[in-house]
Amino acid sequence: MSFLSVNITLRGLTSRLLPPSSPTSTRLIPAMSAAFFSTTPAMAAAAAPAKGGAPKATPKKKKGKGKGEARDPKIVNMLQHFAALSPRRIPAPLRMGRNRHLRHWTIHRAWLMFRRKQREQREGTLMRQYQSMHAACEELRQTEGPGTRDQGYLYRVAMEKKGVYGHNGVPIEYARPQTETPARMAWNHEWKP
Amino acid sequence: MSASSRGGRALSSLLRSQHTRQTSSVPRRVCIQCANTTTTTTTTTLLQSSRRAYSATATAAAEPSSSSSPIPPPPVTTSSPSASQQSQDVRYRIKSGIILTRPPLLTRQLTPFESAFFLYQKRLNERLTAPFRKEFYFKQDTATDLDWKIKLKERHGVPAKDIGRYNPRGRMGWNDEVMVGSTTSDHELGVVQKLLHDAEARVSEDGEEIVDEADRVKPEPPQPRTTEADAKNDTRRLDRKLDQTLYLVVKRKGAAQKTADGKGGDEDVWTFPAGDVPTHEALHETAARVLAESAGVNMNTWIVGRVPVAHYIQSPPPTTTTTTTQDSSSSSSGRGEKVFFLKGRIMAGQADLAGNKHGYTDFKWLTKDELKDTLEEDYYRSVRNMFELR
Repeated sequence: MSFLSVNITLRGLTSRLLPPSSPTSTRLIPAMSAAFFSTTPAMAAAAAPAKGGAPKATPKKKKGKGKGEARDPKIVNMLQHFAALSPRRIPAPLRMGRNRHLRHWTIHRAWLMFRRKQREQREGTLMRQYQSMHAACEELRQTEGPGTRDQGYLYRVAMEKKGVYGHNGVPIEYARPQTETPARMAWNHEWKP
Repeated sequence: MSASSRGGRALSSLLRSQHTRQTSSVPRRVCIQCANTTTTTTTTTLLQSSRRAYSATATAAAEPSSSSSPIPPPPVTTSSPSASQQSQDVRYRIKSGIILTRPPLLTRQLTPFESAFFLYQKRLNERLTAPFRKEFYFKQDTATDLDWKIKLKERHGVPAKDIGRYNPRGRMGWNDEVMVGSTTSDHELGVVQKLLHDAEARVSEDGEEIVDEADRVKPEPPQPRTTEADAKNDTRRLDRKLDQTLYLVVKRKGAAQKTADGKGGDEDVWTFPAGDVPTHEALHETAARVLAESAGVNMNTWIVGRVPVAHYIQSPPPTTTTTTTQDSSSSSSGRGEKVFFLKGRIMAGQADLAGNKHGYTDFKWLTKDELKDTLEEDYYRSVRNMFELR
């Protein structure tokens, strides 16, 4: 804690005494604090010399910066990035006025309604398709097959699963996802087997 | 409540009615739990007795006295095969048709509400997340860094490219809603154009700014969602209506294939390709053969499953009685049709009716809305349930 307080006072000092300070010196401070709060062993090891040293020794280190203790700028950059992502820097949860929150609530309800409509449409389509298949299969089951085949022969054959699954059961072209815009040639009309 | 418990309840109600008929001492109204607990044993035996293969039902029906279940197994077939039924079926010709579909190639067009909602969510997200740190992504004083700086200035300091002019940390951070009529949320006008403009490199490799707009390398813009075929409304092309399913329909002369009910013989009819099922083929084999014979082989198609997805029954003409059809069953003129449709997918290629064996004269690729106007009404009503949502 003493180290932290020193850090804070230092920050105030530097900002007061050295307004046109170089960007590197100002950048170092959050990095150090980030290292102090970190729990990962690597960062703790990186911060270890700072911790181990007496609090009085740190200002000397600051002044003698860039002699032998200079950190890799990549590491500094990364530490700063993590510091920016730390929970203390993340903005507070949204606060809205009454009317604004009512608007937000309305928008949210509208979105839920939109999704429900879509879902019901989708389910309705699936149901209709299933019913269509069911009716066709029922009709097929009660139909006497072509020629002298007995009743339900075609249905029995249609229910067989030989070769439906397994390798090449579904062609690879079937896996094409839908896109937002078409290809340069939207459809290959000149396809030959 | 699970489906099985619902079934058990239905069974228990059945059993209860049986019990009341046999012994009047059992009260009619019992609570659901009591009914379930009392009839579990009988329910299980019933389930065991009813879980049989189709072939086993005949033997079970032959020896009803030996079975100890309280209820005889329900009849499996809804219509018993009688002599009259058999003679009726002779009057139908069995056909197998194929509904060849071209799946939508494009995603659905976003509704204005959706795009507005997405913009709203993006801006709320900006309010809730950590600020963008340029130093993490761009090395200082490189060409990409300079490029980023120029573009960021053009965007008025907003790092995100698709949220318009909005700074969540500024004095006007609360003002995250757009006005009515703004094109910021519009995908085509707002977002795509912005992204395209942003993708131009503004700094050369040497780190010098490219001031002249003609010197900047423009990225290839995405293709438009509507094609030439859409503009011409060329119903034969497959690159039309890219965000909807297209169905292949063919035109046939009415007299050649239509049953002899007199009228409609000279009119052309739009149908899905279909052909008679021979005795040695299953439905999907016939469908594949018919498709190859009628629309040519230059299509990369796949028949989805072997089960029909829709059926169409054309009843035999009412003038012929049962006895006459039995006498003249060899002539196909007085018979109805049962057409079972299988679903096919086309992945590439185009239909070609040249030299087809089924007398088709024309073809079209239509959406489901256009099919409604093209197909005959009863035909459309019998197949419309298999259509996709779009």
